[in-house]
Amino acid sequence: MTERNAYYITAGELAALGPGNIPSELLSSAHLIYSSPAALSFNSPGAQGFGVKRAGLAIPGSVMLLVAPGCCGRNTTILSRLGGYSDRFFYLLMDDTDIITGRHLKKIPDAVREVVDAMEVPPTVVMICITCVDALLGTDMERVCRKASEVAGLPVLPCYMYALTREGREPPMNAVRKSIYSLLEKTERDPAVVNLLGEFAPLTDDSEIYEILSAAGVRKVNEISRLDTFEEYLGMSRANFNIVINPECRLAANDLSARAGIPYVELRKLHHTERIHRQYELFAAGTGMKIDDQAYRMEAEKEVKKFCDQYPETTFAVGETLNGESFEIALSLLRYGHKISEIYGTVTAENFVYIKKIAELSPGTRIYTNLSPSMMYYDCSEAPADVTIGADAAYYQPDAPNVPWNQEVQPFGYAAVTHLFRQLYEAREKEARR
Amino acid sequence: MKGLLRYLSPLAPDQSGAVAVLYGMDCITVVCDAGGCTGNICGFDEPRWYDKPGAVFSAGLRDMDAILGRDDRLIEKLADAAKRTDASFTAIIGTPVPAVIGTDYRALSRMAQKKCGMPSIAVECTGTRLYDEGASDTYRTLFRKFAEKTGTEGPVHDNTEKQGKTAGILGMTPLDISLKDGRPYFTENERYRDYSAFYDYGMGAGLEAVRNAASVTENILVSPSGLAAAEYLKKKFGTPYRWEYPFIGEALRQELVSLAGRRVLVIHQQVAASAARDLIEEAGPSDVTCATWFLQPDPMKRPGDLHLETESQFVELCRDGAYDAIVGDPEFLRAARMSGYQGTMVEFPHFAVSGVLADE
Repeated sequence: MTERNAYYITAGELAALGPGNIPSELLSSAHLIYSSPAALSFNSPGAQGFGVKRAGLAIPGSVMLLVAPGCCGRNTTILSRLGGYSDRFFYLLMDDTDIITGRHLKKIPDAVREVVDAMEVPPTVVMICITCVDALLGTDMERVCRKASEVAGLPVLPCYMYALTREGREPPMNAVRKSIYSLLEKTERDPAVVNLLGEFAPLTDDSEIYEILSAAGVRKVNEISRLDTFEEYLGMSRANFNIVINPECRLAANDLSARAGIPYVELRKLHHTERIHRQYELFAAGTGMKIDDQAYRMEAEKEVKKFCDQYPETTFAVGETLNGESFEIALSLLRYGHKISEIYGTVTAENFVYIKKIAELSPGTRIYTNLSPSMMYYDCSEAPADVTIGADAAYYQPDAPNVPWNQEVQPFGYAAVTHLFRQLYEAREKEARR
Repeated sequence: MKGLLRYLSPLAPDQSGAVAVLYGMDCITVVCDAGGCTGNICGFDEPRWYDKPGAVFSAGLRDMDAILGRDDRLIEKLADAAKRTDASFTAIIGTPVPAVIGTDYRALSRMAQKKCGMPSIAVECTGTRLYDEGASDTYRTLFRKFAEKTGTEGPVHDNTEKQGKTAGILGMTPLDISLKDGRPYFTENERYRDYSAFYDYGMGAGLEAVRNAASVTENILVSPSGLAAAEYLKKKFGTPYRWEYPFIGEALRQELVSLAGRRVLVIHQQVAASAARDLIEEAGPSDVTCATWFLQPDPMKRPGDLHLETESQFVELCRDGAYDAIVGDPEFLRAARMSGYQGTMVEFPHFAVSGVLADE
C-alpha cells in the first residue's frame, strides 16, 4: 500500500537520536532526490540565485567558458538575460566522443583565445567551468588552465561545478569561492584594510559592521561584489585580515591564509540580539578592536519588541531558501517567545547545536527535508503557521503571509534583525488588513 | 570552432525531452544524475513543474556511486520511492554521468522491474544530444514496451458522445509546441470536428492510452520527435500517420502573412517551420527556407531546407543569407542581431531554445 505522507520528525525525537543517528529519510544520499518546486535552487548547484556559474563571474571583468555537455549549460539561458551577464557566458559543448575520451581538453586553449579575440574589450580573467563529466574523467583542469593562460595571455582559472561531490571535502560552492580569490597573492598588508568574504552580493548598506569597523580604524572594507575593476580586486591582497561571513568560504579563507598570509575570523549570520552581542564581544577580543554595539542593538530590539507586543506567540514555519540558517532563525524566534510549527531544512551534524536547543523549547516542532520524495504529499493543513519565512516555506504554506528573506543583498548583524522584524510586522499587518 | 557558442546558449538536451514525454503518465521517473540535470529539467525545461509537480526524481549520484558503479543502491532508492508513490511503471533516464561510466541500462531496467514489482523502461540519454532525440527514443521505447494489438479503445478525453475517428498525437510536449497544453488546439478546433477522441501522448494521455495505441484511426505528428514511434506503430499495427502544426495563433499568423513576397528564413522544429512557411506561401509567392537545429527527417523537408550544426554556420546564414526577414525564437533573433543581421525579425518562440512559452 502506498504511504502518502510527507516524512517528518519532531525536534524532540531528532535531538534524542543525536547527530550520529540522523534518520535516512533526512539524508539526501540515502534516497532519491525530489526537486521540490519550493527549493529548486537548492538542488542544482547552478540553478538559481548565485549558483556556481554566476558566482564564478564575481571577479570584475571576467567571463566564463562552460566546457560541458549542452545539458549542463541549459539553464544559463536565464542568467544570460540578467543584466550584465548576457555577454559574459560562452560555451564549448562536448559531444559523445569527448565525454569518453576527454579530447575536448585539447580544444580549450584555442577556444579561450577565440573568445578573447572576439571581445571588443578583453576580459580580465577567463573562468573555465567544468562539470561532472570531467570529475569522472579525472581532468587536471589546473594544468589545462595554465596552458590556456599561456595561449590567451591572461589569467585562466578553473571553476568546478561538480554536483557529484556536493557532500565531499570541496563542494562546488566552496570550491568556487576558493577559485575566485585564487589570484590574490602575498603582498604588503595594510592594517586599515579588511575583506568581507563569503557572499557574492554586498551586505545591506545599513549593516552596523561597516560603522563598527570604521570606528576601529578600518578605512577600507572590500567586498568583491562592490569592486568595479580588476585592480581593485587585486587590492584585496593588502587586507590585514579577512572576515568570513559564510561558512562555505572557509576553504577559500584557509587557502588565503596559507598562500597569501591573510588570517581570518569568522562571523555568523545570527538573528538573536544577545547572540550577536556575544559574537561582537568575541570578535573584539580576537582582533583587539574596541566595539560599542549598544545603539545598533537597541534599534534591533525596538523592532523585535514592536512585533512581539503586537503579535505575541506568533507561529512560524521556517524554510531554508533564505539568507541565513533555518535552525538558527527558528531558535532565535523561539527565544523571542514565538512558536515554530515546522522547519524545512537540511539536517547535518553541524546544526545539531541548534536542534538540541529547539528540542528543549519546542519538542513538537516538525522537521522536514525539501529533498525527500515524500514531500510530494506534504499537507499544510496539519500544522498551519501564522507567518512563513523563506521562499520554500511560502510554497508549502501558500495561504500564510510570507517573508521570503532571500534578497540578493545580504542582511547581517543587528541590521538583519531590524529588517527581518520590520518585514514580519508588515506581513502580519498586511494580512490583518485583508 | 565546432561546439563553441559565442552568441547562443545550449538548447534543451535529450534528457529533458525524455522527461517531457513521460510527464503526466503515472510513472516514477528517475534521472540518473547527481542533481544538476534534474534541477535543469524541473526548473527550466518543464514548464508544467510549478503547476503540477510530478514524480520526477534525481538519483542523487555521488562520485563513489559512479566510480564503483553502485547500481544496486540506485535500485534500492527507487524501490523505496515506489512504496511511497502511486505509479504503474518506472523510467530511468540517462545523463552524462552514466554515459561516461558505461551504465548497462537494460540491466538496470530489469533490476528495477524485479525489485519494484512493476514494469520499467530505460532511455539512454547522454546530455550531449538535443531534446527531440530523447523524446523520440522515449516514445519508441514506450510503444515497444506497452502497446498491445489487443488493446480496447476507451476515450481518454472529452467528446465521448461523438462518434468518429480517433487520433493519437505524437511529438507534442511543451518543448515542441511552446505551450503547456496543446489539447484545446485539437478538441476546440472546427477542423477536427470529425474526431471523437484525441490521445495526446506526452501531454496528458496516460499508460492506458499507450497500451491502446493500436486502436486509434491515425496518428498526427506535430514535431519530428514523434516520427520514429509513428513509423513503429504503422509497421506494427498499420496505423497511418501525417504531420501538421495547428498551434500558430492569430497574431503570429498575421505577421507571417505580411512576409509574403519576400525572402524569408524560418528557424524552428521542422514541422512548425514548415507550417509557418505554408502560411507565408499561401499569402503569395515567396522564397522561404526552413532551417532547424533539431531532427529533420527527409519526408518532412523540402530541397534547400537547412540543418544547422554549428553556431558559425548559423551566423553566416543570418549575416550573409540576404534574407528580408528571419522568423524564429527570441534567442535566435538576439543572436542574429548580434551577428550583424539588420532585417525584419518575427518572434516564433520555441521553448526548447529560450524557455519562452508562446502564450507568455
